Amino acid sequence: MLSKYIFYFLSSVAIYAALMVLISKKPIHSVLYLTLAFFAIAGHYILLNAQFLAVVHIIVYAGAIMVLFLFTVMLLNLNIEGEFPKKNIIKFAAVIVGGLILITLIGTFRTYDLEIIKNPTLNQIGLVKNLGKVLFKEYLLPFELCSILFLAAMVGAVMLGKKDIQ
Amino acid sequence: MNAIIALSALAILTMFFGVIQKKSVLLPLILSGLIIVFFLNVIEWGTFKHYYNEMFIADNFNIAFTAALILTTFLVFIFSALYYRTVKRPLEDIYALMLFSLIGGITMASFGNITMLFIGIETLSISFYILAGSKKFDVASNEAALKYFLTGTFATGFLLFGMALIYGVSGSFNLQAINSYIIANKESIPTLFYAGMILVFVGMAFKIAAVPFHFWAPDVYTGSPTLITAFMSTIGKVASIAAFYRLISITFLNVHDFSVDILMLFAIATIIVGNLSAMTQDNMKRMLAYSGISNSGYLLFAIIAMGPKSAGTLLYFSISYAIATITAFAVIMLVREERGTFSLQDYKGLAKQNPVEAFAMAVAMMSLAGIPPLAGFMAKYNIFSVAMNGGYVWLVIVGVIGSMISVFYYFKPIIYMYFHRADAHKKIETTKAYKIHILLVSILLIILGFLPGLVIGLL
Amino acid sequence: MIEYIWLVPLLPLIGFLLIAFNFKRFQGSVSGIIASSAIFVSFIISLIVFIEIYSSKQTATVQLFHWIKFNKIDISFSFLIDQLSTLMLMIITGVGFLIHVYSIGYMKGDSGFNRFFSYMNLFVFFMLLLVLGSNYLIMFIGWEGVGLCSYLLIGFWFKKHENNNAAKKAFIMNRIGDLGFLLGIFMLYYYFGTLNFNGIFFQAHMFTIGNPTITIITLLLFVGAIGKSAQIPLFTWLPDAMAGPTPVSALIHAATMVTAGIYMIARSNVLFVLSPITLLIIAIVGITTALLAGGIAIFQTDIKKVLAYSTVSQLGFMFLALGVGAFTGAMFHLTTHAFFKALLFLAAGSVIHALNGEQDIRKMGGLKNKIPITFFTFLIGTIAISGIPPFSGFFSKDMILIGAFEANSIFWIIAVIVSLMTTFYMFRLLYIVFWKRSNKEDLHAHESPKNMTIPLMILAVLSVLAGAFGIPLVFGGNDIIGNFLSPIFTESTNIIKINAHEISHNTELLLMFIPVIFVFVVVYLAYYVYVKQKKLPEADNQKRPFFSNIFFKKLYFDEIYNALFVKPALWLSDFLHNIIELKVIDRMVNQAGNLVVWTGKTIRYIQTGNVGFYLFAMVISIILILIFKLFI
Repeated sequence: MLSKYIFYFLSSVAIYAALMVLISKKPIHSVLYLTLAFFAIAGHYILLNAQFLAVVHIIVYAGAIMVLFLFTVMLLNLNIEGEFPKKNIIKFAAVIVGGLILITLIGTFRTYDLEIIKNPTLNQIGLVKNLGKVLFKEYLLPFELCSILFLAAMVGAVMLGKKDIQ
Repeated sequence: MNAIIALSALAILTMFFGVIQKKSVLLPLILSGLIIVFFLNVIEWGTFKHYYNEMFIADNFNIAFTAALILTTFLVFIFSALYYRTVKRPLEDIYALMLFSLIGGITMASFGNITMLFIGIETLSISFYILAGSKKFDVASNEAALKYFLTGTFATGFLLFGMALIYGVSGSFNLQAINSYIIANKESIPTLFYAGMILVFVGMAFKIAAVPFHFWAPDVYTGSPTLITAFMSTIGKVASIAAFYRLISITFLNVHDFSVDILMLFAIATIIVGNLSAMTQDNMKRMLAYSGISNSGYLLFAIIAMGPKSAGTLLYFSISYAIATITAFAVIMLVREERGTFSLQDYKGLAKQNPVEAFAMAVAMMSLAGIPPLAGFMAKYNIFSVAMNGGYVWLVIVGVIGSMISVFYYFKPIIYMYFHRADAHKKIETTKAYKIHILLVSILLIILGFLPGLVIGLL
Repeated sequence: MIEYIWLVPLLPLIGFLLIAFNFKRFQGSVSGIIASSAIFVSFIISLIVFIEIYSSKQTATVQLFHWIKFNKIDISFSFLIDQLSTLMLMIITGVGFLIHVYSIGYMKGDSGFNRFFSYMNLFVFFMLLLVLGSNYLIMFIGWEGVGLCSYLLIGFWFKKHENNNAAKKAFIMNRIGDLGFLLGIFMLYYYFGTLNFNGIFFQAHMFTIGNPTITIITLLLFVGAIGKSAQIPLFTWLPDAMAGPTPVSALIHAATMVTAGIYMIARSNVLFVLSPITLLIIAIVGITTALLAGGIAIFQTDIKKVLAYSTVSQLGFMFLALGVGAFTGAMFHLTTHAFFKALLFLAAGSVIHALNGEQDIRKMGGLKNKIPITFFTFLIGTIAISGIPPFSGFFSKDMILIGAFEANSIFWIIAVIVSLMTTFYMFRLLYIVFWKRSNKEDLHAHESPKNMTIPLMILAVLSVLAGAFGIPLVFGGNDIIGNFLSPIFTESTNIIKINAHEISHNTELLLMFIPVIFVFVVVYLAYYVYVKQKKLPEADNQKRPFFSNIFFKKLYFDEIYNALFVKPALWLSDFLHNIIELKVIDRMVNQAGNLVVWTGKTIRYIQTGNVGFYLFAMVISIILILIFKLFI
């Protein structure tokens, strides 16, 4: 019962924070709201008994990426209000389009009765031990391939970042 | 499987030799490495294996498309010497990224699990995003990279969402398992599943640059360094179409009735928009970008019809398209290096001054336009007949009209090269090796035109 | 050797390619020698194959490769080697070789020497394809190919406008016939499901005699034969085709190509005998052509035109033979005719050569002693064509006459008249050209070089002796050619023979000798008119008697065609060009093109370059697809 309340609370926090990311005029506020949203989602993970994911989520997104964002915003001094003026018509169109996709997706979800899967192993999947087992057994190949993906990204970052001696 | 492992090792080796500044070793290493990888790949022919819980499936389809991808990469690397001849530094990062994207492409051609598809697409795309911006001091290149990245991640978001929905409904990422789910619940598949399917299709359509998800392609292809454009427009397309085919043929074949009209919409819109837009271009690179878009439309025919010959025809079409495109880009690179722009005007009288290059260009253009007996003709003919056998007459009519229009723009460079007098341009000096390469590639295109049965019969 | 049969057509093709690619390089008579030796080797191979077929009495199909394979259609590129095709091979390569050698002398110094030989080799290649093909499609390739070469060679001296016109005329008239042939092939495929000779002839047994389908098919095929073999109403191109060099006239327009129609019908005899109506039409067309062309030939003044009409007339004779079911007779006459008509043309060429290009017989005369070899060979040719025993023409004509008599005695009477006309115009030609007339000064003439006279002599020997292959049983001969070709024709002849009445040996002898007696009378008549009375044909502008004028003007065929077809066609095409094409179609096409260009230009504006817009468009598209697929 308690978890239900916590779920609704976390959900409203997440939605509020996400909206504020869009609405805030100052970039730094957006970033901070985004961090809040991530925390709320991490809360959801804990509710789902996935503590490891929650921790990783906080470390990676809130910790690493958000800090990077904040530094970028601060170091480049981008925290200027109203830097990105949009025409009203574009705003209007964007709202309409976003609304439409929301309605469409809700429409599709509505017709589907989600079966509540009561699988004890799945309930425990978020734990480090189980996750590790799945990753290194069933999903070993995608897991390893991810290293290539990251290597590519890393090489790219180095390439774009370093000074070129032409 | 061995191909991927060897390729990873090759990429790392490439970077190592780059770090110790052995520039001269790099290209020979990569080329010979690619040949080895090719053979490692081909020896698995006929052995139907799957690795790691059906994550990776090594069937003949995978091996054939992997071979096509390696061949294409090989050709691109051959011409990279020309493109980067003024660059002093080893360029190991660019080469390694190209190899990484090849790995992504191979993964896309052989996945047995949707997660693998996603990782393959991401490996390919992320490498492409960076490669598109690899000309760091060129604004166009930067713009291309950013545009590609923004639109690409956007599309990836939809793709991932679609995958999640499919997983949510079917309870599995495994292609066969999803298929069994479909068969078991044929009558009661929820809308959610279809929504997931549509979103996955949207993501795939974005990758092959099918209208209306093609917007990134002309800008990115035009802005990127020419060699990378050649690479992206061939590897990206071939790998994506292979993935698309695999996805539908293994998983969604039993709900194909549902997807056919979406795919038909993609195909028809792609052919019309691609060809019409290409027609008014004076910029060769941009024209080829649109030509790539319109060719996606033809490729979709095989997926729509899903006949017994679809896979083989897809392979043949992909190879002939890739080779012709690379040939064309190899000449475009050369002309651009010498004359500064991509304008059609630069091709005036090329036939007199550089007969070999002009010949190769003409062969490539005619093949793309579908002039018999070149490979492009046989490819189009076969793909039309696949569609015809599937009963998609209207599709074929649109395709034929599209190719009629395409003759108009593909012949423009030929007319400029052969029937216009050169005004102020001098002969372009090229190395003998380049001449031989480009001649061999264009002859390959001619020979391929006589062997459609052989290639199509493979699958 | 049979498996190497592909070498036979291949060698001339190689010769053609070799000469065509070294067009500017070959000097002197190199190209002539290459071309001749290509044909010669072909001839040797053909000869060996011929002997093999002759001794083993076997036939063979040599498959080279699958050519068209599509759904149920499976047409292979294969050759059929049997008695009929090997006989044709011998004629084509043998006579072809002699004419090639002759041409080296005849064409010497001509600026188009290399071009000439490349065309000639190409022609031989296509002709060999025509006779060797084991299905109608390959035959049709050869059929069209020889038409093309004929066109090229008629217009060989393309600088003269009338030559081009003659070439075009030949091409267009042939095209009309080809259309018939092609339709026939389509119908064959439709009803038989194959184009293979063996397959079709095997299935033909299922049809009854007089089946309308077969009648239509055979009539269509016959239309093709009419065009190629210059029969009424499509014969007027052949006399005009004499604009080409004389060896061309000898090879293409006398010995080989024009007999393609006869070959085709003889090849398809199994089909034709199933349709008595077609056979009757063939016989009537043949005999009418023979009669009219013979009549025209009597009044011509150009040495080659006389021979041309004579060819038309003889071809008509062969069609008569086909029509009455004397297939062997037709093929035999085709063979002997190839020898003596080639001989006559080449001899005529030698005369023309001797007189530096003069072709008008009124300006000739008294050449008997100046060019003796030419004279003697021409004489032999004349005797042979006139049907005087024991020269070859006698036997072949006799075979046809007997066949005609068996079918219908009216045919026989007309055929005898035609044969007498042949004698008359040939001897008229001989006397006018070679006998001296006192009131004329001596012409300067020189005998042709050896490489022209030796082919003449060989052909003369053949013209004399070829008859030996067909000595009828009455004379104690054993009808070699009849036996040789019997595997091909026996079945058909048996069907025909049911209706015909057997004739006794005495009647046969009588039928042989009546024409011969008349022939001698006619020879004397010609002698009396043209040597004793020294009569000469009137000058062109002089008024002639009504009857002879009609024949001199070639029965006004050209004029009638002109008024009936050419002028309306020109008017129609004028109309189509000026009104339909320029005003309607062009405008439509241009508008369509403009529309496409306009759309292309407009569509370009979608590509704004703005990422925001791109994403926006993508999302809109996704929403539309979702709504369209999931809610509608």
